[in-house]
Amino acid sequence: MSVYAELADIPGVIAAGEYAYRGDRYNYKGQLNDEMARMASIMCRATTMGTHMQTEILCANSENCPFDPAHGWMVRGPQFSVCVVANVFCFLQNEAGLLNRVMQQMQDKLADVDEMI
Amino acid sequence: MSSLDKLMNLHGAAAAFEFSDSGELTNQRISDDSDLTTDALDLLAHVFVANIAIATMQARGWEKTTGQGGFYPVQGFTLIGLEWSAVGNGHRGVVLRNNACDFEAAYAALDS
Amino acid sequence: MIKHLLALDGVVVVCHFRDDGALVEGYGLLGDDMMVRLAKFAHDYKRMVQGNTDQFSMFTGMSGWTPPGGWIVRGAKATVCSVSNLVCFIDNEEASLNEVMQALTEASRY
Repeated sequence: MSVYAELADIPGVIAAGEYAYRGDRYNYKGQLNDEMARMASIMCRATTMGTHMQTEILCANSENCPFDPAHGWMVRGPQFSVCVVANVFCFLQNEAGLLNRVMQQMQDKLADVDEMI
Repeated sequence: MSSLDKLMNLHGAAAAFEFSDSGELTNQRISDDSDLTTDALDLLAHVFVANIAIATMQARGWEKTTGQGGFYPVQGFTLIGLEWSAVGNGHRGVVLRNNACDFEAAYAALDS
Repeated sequence: MIKHLLALDGVVVVCHFRDDGALVEGYGLLGDDMMVRLAKFAHDYKRMVQGNTDQFSMFTGMSGWTPPGGWIVRGAKATVCSVSNLVCFIDNEEASLNEVMQALTEASRY
């Protein structure tokens, strides 16, 4: 099973998906419709581009930069959070224990992905 | 105990810092065994401000377009590196080692 | 091909980058290493602006914004501006931003 499909099966996860760094392909599973998944992919791709540029600037003058390369990011709202590692995104409820569980799984499964394909 | 000292008590914390609305570093703690510098924290603070602004735009657009609330107002942004993560919210941020990273505890500490 | 842009008042650097961010050619008051960095930055910034413009267009439903033609970041004394795969670094006091953007647009069509 793909990483995003496994994430989508975790109770409390609203939906998960994967997007292409270039072009507009995407896959998803969960409580999103096709248009929402397309929008989520566009948003996640844009923020990932931004974080990659920012970490390169952050690390341009530092030999031991702790954030190079950027593996992902997360953003939190009052009810939901979005986690992104490599090209996989996950929308989840803010429930106790869930964020750490999802991030652990994403980092374990996607730790070796360091190229923007 | 100051709010930065509380953040430094998080497991795996390498640095804790405060910043202005525009992202300038105003106060910081850096652990003795960390390579982080005040310049790096200042840049990280700007990363937080930039990405929280972008995420706020996205949350606003998402809610208006889909009718699904729950993302706005944005209450934090985290940058995940290979070994370290930087968690930020409001005017404060903390750098944590990934293999010991309790994101929920970090957000709770930043909320307090 | 782009070197003539340096003749415009206030243009300090002009640089052409590839779609993967590699430097094609660069002229002006920057060392080789910094020229490569400027090309990479301009490429990354272009993609970021593209991403944000896509989102603006998506959320508002307005046409006419994508693909973006370029971007301008204005500082107190200097400005970086880009059209297509060209980027210029200019001195605010000496340069006419309109003139430089016009020249960049024309040069991007070569």
